[in-house]
Amino acid sequence: MADRDMADFAVEHAGKQGAQYAEARVENHSTESFILKNGVLDALSVSDDFGIGVRVLVGGSLGFAATNRLTKDEVRATVDDAVRIAKAVKRRTPIEFVQEKAVKADWKVRERKKVADVDIEDKLEAVLQIERELVDTKIPLPARFFQASTNRLKKYFTNSEGSKITSYSPRIRLYYFLTAVKDGDVEQTYRNYGWSGGWEALEEWDALNKVLAEARSLEKSLKEGKKSPEGKWDLICGPQVSGIASHESCGHPTEADRILGREASQAGKSFITPDMIGEKVGSPEVNVCDDPTLKNAIAYYEYDDEGVKARRRYLYKEGKIHEFLQNRETAAKLQTRSNGAARATTYAVEAIPRMANTFVEPKDWSLEEMLEDVKRGIYMKSFMEWNIDDKRYNQKYVGREAYLIEDGEVTAPVRKTVLELTTPAFWSAVDAVGKDLEFEAGFCGKSDPMQALDASMGGPHMRLRDVYLR
Amino acid sequence: MEDYAGVSERMVKKATALGAQDAVADIYLNRNYQVRFSQNQVDISNKWRNIAGWLFVAVDRRLVFTEINDFSRADKVVENTVKVARRSQENPEYGGIAAGPFRYRASKPDRKITELEDGGDLVQAGIQAAVKAGAKETAGVFWRYDEEHFLHTSGGVSATRRGANLYFSLRALRSLEESGHGVECATRFADFHPERAGEKAGEIAKAVKKPGKGEAGKYDVVFDTLFLGSMIDQIGGRAGAFEVRAGLSPLKDKVGKPIASDIVTLYDDSTANTMGARPFDDEGVPSQRNVIVERGVLKTYLHNTSTAKLFSTRTTANAGLVAPGSNALVLEPGDHTKEELFEQVRDGLYVTNTWYTRYQSYVTGDFSTIPRDGIFRIKNGKIAGSVKDIRLTDNILGLWQRMEALSKETQEVMWWGEVHVPTIVPYGLARQVGFTRSSM
Repeated sequence: MADRDMADFAVEHAGKQGAQYAEARVENHSTESFILKNGVLDALSVSDDFGIGVRVLVGGSLGFAATNRLTKDEVRATVDDAVRIAKAVKRRTPIEFVQEKAVKADWKVRERKKVADVDIEDKLEAVLQIERELVDTKIPLPARFFQASTNRLKKYFTNSEGSKITSYSPRIRLYYFLTAVKDGDVEQTYRNYGWSGGWEALEEWDALNKVLAEARSLEKSLKEGKKSPEGKWDLICGPQVSGIASHESCGHPTEADRILGREASQAGKSFITPDMIGEKVGSPEVNVCDDPTLKNAIAYYEYDDEGVKARRRYLYKEGKIHEFLQNRETAAKLQTRSNGAARATTYAVEAIPRMANTFVEPKDWSLEEMLEDVKRGIYMKSFMEWNIDDKRYNQKYVGREAYLIEDGEVTAPVRKTVLELTTPAFWSAVDAVGKDLEFEAGFCGKSDPMQALDASMGGPHMRLRDVYLR
Repeated sequence: MEDYAGVSERMVKKATALGAQDAVADIYLNRNYQVRFSQNQVDISNKWRNIAGWLFVAVDRRLVFTEINDFSRADKVVENTVKVARRSQENPEYGGIAAGPFRYRASKPDRKITELEDGGDLVQAGIQAAVKAGAKETAGVFWRYDEEHFLHTSGGVSATRRGANLYFSLRALRSLEESGHGVECATRFADFHPERAGEKAGEIAKAVKKPGKGEAGKYDVVFDTLFLGSMIDQIGGRAGAFEVRAGLSPLKDKVGKPIASDIVTLYDDSTANTMGARPFDDEGVPSQRNVIVERGVLKTYLHNTSTAKLFSTRTTANAGLVAPGSNALVLEPGDHTKEELFEQVRDGLYVTNTWYTRYQSYVTGDFSTIPRDGIFRIKNGKIAGSVKDIRLTDNILGLWQRMEALSKETQEVMWWGEVHVPTIVPYGLARQVGFTRSSM
């Protein structure tokens, strides 16, 4: 493959220019995406983006340069740029990368229905069918927005330590956003599905039935939803809420670059400091993992964008801070090993510590067993509004689909239940973790230029005792 | 350099020869350069050398975009794009592209910016100013933006533009909870002073001093420019016809109606001297100044030619061919000094920056956003300590309707994740703004 030759050449040339370490990533993103707005195809987009990113470490400083022209002259000039801008910087404390072994590997994600073999007409039709059935429900949904995309991602990574890794990972996404109205009242919702694999994704998601169920729940909220009560209540979170909490108040605060201040100006810092491994942040029931090796998860990978083998990371274990998400740079600073968390959205940006698929590890409770012990509470199945501060300590989730729990039974729908509390308060209130596990996809935003990266988040149902709701 | 204007023209001609009724090609050169820093030293320097483009075709109202990287394959890409369009679905709402040609005002980037090779001294100037003002730790980014476009359309447009700007963003910290943020934007090298951003960030960080827990309630609030820029983004950024029709805007059905207090006049203005200045939009329509809000009344959505037809109006020169939007916003200043805004607050807050703005309903505008960096109590017109851990929870239109005063002093701001386009913004005073906090 000529592109591989260019990457090999880039690393070799960087060495000749004085780089103590060099790596190159050649990537090819073959994408198709389309937007259906109120049943109308706004536009179809197809692209074949490819290029090379080169990162060098020279005299303890990092330089990165990228180009989409894979000629030898252009790649040489790109490497020269990276070396020149790195050399121009003199740091007080030289950057180092922790030692990791060189890897030669070739990995692929299997597609049961190859994305490339499915005609664009069939892809459109699959989403149009959902749209038609949605309209057939007669539920007043004046704004219906679907976006579907496929990305057949090919990569080749090489570095000056001898790593050579090729990969192929097709990714499918479906996003929808619905607005329901009744007598001037409005409810909105969105969902995001992701899949590493082939076009079988749509069946695996059971997207049609899920979208229809969501539309019915919007209608029910508008027709029957009452104001959510205020006070201290037990709360059962659905998998979507467990997932967002694991992403926002566990995954993000355990990113090592954030802990070290490298993201301070953008996505922020963390309430966690490097010396807090082992400190309690939740109840012993709480294990939160990040795992790039989950088959078919949108952020599946076998080696990260620094060539380090991926593995499951326990970020919170038995309620204690257990492990940070590391790349080779942060691991060197914190005198540990990389755990394969270095990721980049494209060849044109550096790889930094990122989550992949973050989730609350399931235990052994059924939803029914959790409900049995709740005299009065709220079942927050999903959320709409959410946010968290930039130290990842104060978070808020506002219910989208939520119900009262009375004497162990799920009863009337309630609207806009607000859960606003600190990270330790959230995780310390957990007293039961379900045995189910569901994921949703998301775009995780970080870095500058903004890297909105494929990620997923999920969990089982989870019960929190005695939390203040309004 | 290759004749990119010629490549762009050939792609459009080929597409129309193959049956496209409309075609637009834009080839762009990205020569951006960036320096990121934290802990008062540079983390990484980045440089881009991309030349890419996109092609839009409409074949019997079947619309397809494609990106192109390898111009040696341009003919093949055009053929494939038209072929894909034929297999796609019709968009009955499509209303075509603008008919040119047009005349454009001349614009030339500052050579001192395009020829800048090393931003190290500028970064150090910003860091040192922050440290001098009281920062212990700084983090941020320096950008030299430099992009050149070669646009050709089947509507008779053949146009080029090159824009080059400098941007600096610095967050200063004395501790995790004692921080401030400053930004600096410039279209001329001589106007670029990163030390201003550093000094402002450092001063805010120093003024915070062990913030106490904030209390929930309604407060009169003085907004600094970064925060108010984010709130402007929630209006200007949701005025695009695409957002309005997708249920992603509180402005639907509100043209001609009051959406803000009568001191609020907001322009979309790519002709102003900001980092967002550009002579034409993605259809080649010459940029113009659009009044989005005039004395509190919503005057227009932002359109391309196609969405304008749907709304029985004219394009506002804001293409995006799918989603029209603003490239630069200007909030008309008021007649107060910044000090006078504080003097009008008996018991309130001064908030300097925010992030993570999210909605419960885009239609109603119910939202929350989380102040970050310095949050100060104001008592009897004076700063009286600082607080932390509060969340602005309100309605975006309600907030703008309670905007009571704006300053004469303005600043151009843009910021990661919140202020998406360069925005000229004064300080503002709003009454009775809702705040909540973590309950436990």
